[in-house]
Amino acid sequence: MVKHIFITAAVACAFASCKKDFISLTPQDQPSSATFFQTEAQFRQGIIAAYTPLRDLMNNDFFTAEMRSDNTHYEYYSINRGTAYQYKENIADFVDEAIDDVSNAVYFAPYKGIVKTNIVIGRIGAANISDTARKSIEGQARFLRAFYYFKLVRYFGGVPLYLKESTNADDAFIGRSTADQVYDQIITDAKTAIDLLQPPAKFPQSGEATKGAATMLLADVYMTLKKYPEAEALLKTLPGMGYTLLPDYASVFSTSNKNSRESIFEVQYLQGLQGGQQSNFIYLFLPRCKSTALITYGVATNNTGTGGWNTPTTDMINAYEPNDKRKDVSIGVAEGVYDASCVFTLSAYKSILNYKPATGKTGVPFIKKYLNPHTNVNNTDDNWPVYRYADALLLLAEAQNAQGRPADALANLNMVRTRAGLPAATEMDQTNLADIIAHERRVELAFENKRWHDLVRTGKAIEVMNADGVRLKQQYSYLSPASYNVTTSKLLYPIPKSEILTNPKLTQNPDYN
Amino acid sequence: MPITGSINNINPAEIESFTILKDASASSLYGSRAANGVILITTKHARKGDPTLTVNAYYGTQSIPRKGRPKMMTAREFATFQNEYYEDRVKYENYTGKLDTTYANPERYGNGTNWFNTLTRSAPIQNYDLTYSAATENASTTVVGSYLNQQGVVINSGTQLFALRFNQEFSFIDKKLKTGLNFAPSYRLDHNNRLGTEGVGGLIEKASEASPLVAPVDAKGNTPLYVQSPGMVNNINPYAQYMKTKDDYATTRLLGNTYANYEIINGLRLNTSIGLDMGMETRDNFSPTSISSNNLATGVSSYVSNYSWTAEANLNYKKTIASVHHIELLAGYSAQQFKQKSNSVSGTSFTSDDIPWLNAATSITAGSSNTTQYSLLSMIGRANYDYKGKYLFSGAIRRDGSSRFGSAKKYGAFPSVSAGWVISNENFMRDIKPVSFLKVRASYGLTGNNNIGNFTFIPAISNSNYVLNGQLVSGATVTSLGNNDLAWERNKQTDIGVDVSFFNSRLSFTYDYYHRITDGLIQDRPVPQASGFASITSNVGVLEFWGHEFAVNSVNLNGALKWTTSFNMSFDRNRIKALVSPGFLRRNNTVTSDYFRNQVGHPLGTFYGFVFQGLYKDDADLANSPKYGANGSASAVGTIKMKDVNGDKVIDDNDRTFIGDPNPNFVFGMTNTLQYKQFDFSVSMAGSQGGQILAASKWAYLTNLDGARALLSAVKDRWRSPEQPGSGIYPRTLSGTTALGRSVNSQWLEDGSYLTVKNIALGYTIPFRSNKSGFQRLRVYGSVQQAFILTKYSGINPEISLNGLDGTSLGIDENAYPVPRTFAFGITATLK
Repeated sequence: MVKHIFITAAVACAFASCKKDFISLTPQDQPSSATFFQTEAQFRQGIIAAYTPLRDLMNNDFFTAEMRSDNTHYEYYSINRGTAYQYKENIADFVDEAIDDVSNAVYFAPYKGIVKTNIVIGRIGAANISDTARKSIEGQARFLRAFYYFKLVRYFGGVPLYLKESTNADDAFIGRSTADQVYDQIITDAKTAIDLLQPPAKFPQSGEATKGAATMLLADVYMTLKKYPEAEALLKTLPGMGYTLLPDYASVFSTSNKNSRESIFEVQYLQGLQGGQQSNFIYLFLPRCKSTALITYGVATNNTGTGGWNTPTTDMINAYEPNDKRKDVSIGVAEGVYDASCVFTLSAYKSILNYKPATGKTGVPFIKKYLNPHTNVNNTDDNWPVYRYADALLLLAEAQNAQGRPADALANLNMVRTRAGLPAATEMDQTNLADIIAHERRVELAFENKRWHDLVRTGKAIEVMNADGVRLKQQYSYLSPASYNVTTSKLLYPIPKSEILTNPKLTQNPDYN
Repeated sequence: MPITGSINNINPAEIESFTILKDASASSLYGSRAANGVILITTKHARKGDPTLTVNAYYGTQSIPRKGRPKMMTAREFATFQNEYYEDRVKYENYTGKLDTTYANPERYGNGTNWFNTLTRSAPIQNYDLTYSAATENASTTVVGSYLNQQGVVINSGTQLFALRFNQEFSFIDKKLKTGLNFAPSYRLDHNNRLGTEGVGGLIEKASEASPLVAPVDAKGNTPLYVQSPGMVNNINPYAQYMKTKDDYATTRLLGNTYANYEIINGLRLNTSIGLDMGMETRDNFSPTSISSNNLATGVSSYVSNYSWTAEANLNYKKTIASVHHIELLAGYSAQQFKQKSNSVSGTSFTSDDIPWLNAATSITAGSSNTTQYSLLSMIGRANYDYKGKYLFSGAIRRDGSSRFGSAKKYGAFPSVSAGWVISNENFMRDIKPVSFLKVRASYGLTGNNNIGNFTFIPAISNSNYVLNGQLVSGATVTSLGNNDLAWERNKQTDIGVDVSFFNSRLSFTYDYYHRITDGLIQDRPVPQASGFASITSNVGVLEFWGHEFAVNSVNLNGALKWTTSFNMSFDRNRIKALVSPGFLRRNNTVTSDYFRNQVGHPLGTFYGFVFQGLYKDDADLANSPKYGANGSASAVGTIKMKDVNGDKVIDDNDRTFIGDPNPNFVFGMTNTLQYKQFDFSVSMAGSQGGQILAASKWAYLTNLDGARALLSAVKDRWRSPEQPGSGIYPRTLSGTTALGRSVNSQWLEDGSYLTVKNIALGYTIPFRSNKSGFQRLRVYGSVQQAFILTKYSGINPEISLNGLDGTSLGIDENAYPVPRTFAFGITATLK
């Protein structure tokens, strides 16, 4: 009996071995991971995939970099206390916790991009492709990895440094590095990117990262680390690459001027019903309306489920100097009436300049920079500006002033002020000039996700945000006494709770659970 | 032939019998497909005799029982609630707004709209089937044709099934060669019954999204787009959604197999068979502008086709030596391949609501086509031996290869052994007359499970597109973690059983003990998302299942009145013995739906959440208790108080813990059959004792204290002031404090014990004196299914789980589809 089984098994095994292919299957409807990443075209696809998570980041970055700051707040949705709303409000109000899906999103999104850059960087060395292609592709990957880690280190401090592609479970479980280690890696990657990449080949640009983008990024990093001479040297190379201010501030944000000479890096979007490449920022920033048609070029979008975020504060509106052309470009007013369900019925689209609400109406200011003509509901063409030349000029002014060279600083500052229709600044006192430059950054770069990082970088966040809290609490009775209690630990966001639970090697930032 | 997956295209009329195989030895023939047990369905085959024609027809009405329907506030009660909500805002929050005039003078309103009732209905079910069979010495034919029409108890939904089956059998060469052909085409039409009336966004949630003050259809006969009252969230009219959506599936299924068995020499048979399972399913979905908040119609057209073939061959040798040694040897081989193709096209901006086809869409928004496949290859050897029918032994080994594992791990070997002793055949038992049969048996064996995605071990490459130069450019990269070490999940099962019957088998009793270790449990293991990946499909741990099962069958009366009873009861337990770091798996990362946590040392699906401790009674209670929210700002007198599990004097996410167990202590079933003259009567019952239910949909949707949703009537009795503390169950409406109640907590738990009368049937067989009428038999019957449920559970049905019977999400009531009570009348006629 036993013998019989063995004979049967032996015969069957022999039969099976000649049919081994029968159970060796690979997916037919996608490239094989074993043979992908050989050709230049495949590496180009690989690097394109590393840009896509920039959008995941930008869909949340305005909550954590802008709404967290004194520039914007939100339209309170009193009847909907679902966690999806509270998480966003809590970010603004400084009562966020480690389970907050907004701060979690700005942790996960950069890492989604980092793994894709790691795949490219890790595999391109062995690939048989031209040196020009390799430099372009690896340069972009190094830029993106540095960019993503720079976001992470500013939001979360010393995060885990994933520098190679995880291929098994063990690779995925690593602990935190120090902030210094993360900054060292960012600097290494950004320097490599500067070496590998070329300046923009043409204007308007393609949207890919360039030597200019990497230069600006590294300068931004040095400014954050207060390495002013290094930052200054880098920033001064930018005009040589063809960057300049556009003559008119409004045209900077027009969808007909994407990737212009003023643009150093922006996140690309494309409207349309196919492909899913569109943006919808304006519909997040308008008050919740059943129809936004009056403002959105006749496109009747119901944004009651998405809108009501990133509303300019009164303090922001008042921050513009008289006759600043940028105010009307940056902020509009939606006029109408809120009903008991917190839904806004639009009756007019008004200018912010000298705005007084009509009798019985409410005026809700909204960010106008991302309002451009488009065709479809909840589907816009607007890119997100990451780095512009105006940002570079103001950083340069700041670096020069920090090194005690106010005249140089004023020259760069005043290029920006002049375009805005403002008189040239003349302040020569270093401290006062620093304040003027900081204020100029606030209005010039308003709603471009710069404000929170600037406040933290310049050490002003605690002072400014506690003052903002006092103002807002007077204005809004729904704010709890615990809100806007801004301390040092609030300068970092918590590591996502789910990551802490999954990976025992991680530790939480101070004062978060 | 194996059908892995749904059997909902098989009409019960085609089935002659079914057998459930549970122990590893019995299921060894079926290999990896049997890791969770086997249901052997035998379809009808004609027996030799005159041709017969059987007609069966029944008609019934299905309705949702009154008990367990959510008791919502009437229009008047809801208007009153809004008044009180307003008063409390003025009193406690310095609210300066005005009460909306809609809510003034609540007494002018009556019951208003009961949305649960509006969205559900009584619905007919009807079934007709016709069975023809004829057999001669060497050929038999059975044909079954049937039509089923079951309308849904949710409005505007239903299903129809047309099914045919041909079973043919022939024998040749003095019955040495037997061949057969079975062929069963079916066509199923599903209308709106896969729209997700279960789960989040399902029926209960929908019923809470509309105001009792608003009618589903207005005076002009139109369905308003929005049906909220002031202060409620703007949700689309659920009645219009259910009535105007078109979501039609048409499923064609073809099951067929052919076999040839040849007796080569006496006792040695070669059995071969080829089976085919083909399915084609089209979906046409259309959602018109009239139920769109953006005035946009959308449509989807999709198609799935799959086919699977199985080829099997085995040699079976039977030999009796010296008339006491019975030997049976089997060696077999089987191969199975499954392939699927699918495509889907979506469109929007239709020219009108009248043409619900993509032809009328001005934009095609997405299109895709995909394919997938798997294959299995198995060899089996088995030997059975018995001595005089007293001592039984069996040993089997099979080797299964699956395409779902990497090159080094494709094959698994799964041996099994069993032994039995029929004690009643021993001489010493001869004199013990009352015992007519007594057998003890034991088995041990391994089975393998490869029930995972088809290519999970291979890292996936997916598209991730972007825009350059103002044009879409395609991107692609690795998007999942592969796992070349992924190996067969192995179930090691021990069974010990006793079968005994007394008094010429009038009373029989079966006992089974089983113990199963699932080793190398295959699950998606979460990895830190910072790695760029969310999870890896891995062998993550070890589970242990064990239990005792009892069954009693008794012929109580055997005279003019015949009465039989069958009763079964089982005590099932399970425990997680090992899991990879960190030693537990969460359901998800969302506090409102992270219902359970699978953790070492606990049973599967153990509920996890906050521990409810009532409401903060007064200022002293509040001052002395841990609080929730930043600096305790989300707690106040009259809000929910949770237990400070970790003792750190604040209530936060770290105070969640194990709060309950969905696993029952025991389950049981009982069927009584009575027969008296021409009457027959039967009652079937099933019950469960001790498992808990997490009433998720009730607490997530029906107790919203922000005035944003319709409410349970019981919420009237909520906290309003220290003098009016209410029932102590529902907290106050204070802004910023209500969210905690929507996090999973022990207040959501209820006792899920039940006793359900599953079926009551009464039949009468009309006596025919002569054969002239042509009737051989004519029976009329009436039945009630799901007749009534005795339970303390407040929801509709305590027999509940989230994802069918996967065992990991028992006892979670998240909008489960209501099981209707069905009254039916039928007639069965057999003609010669």
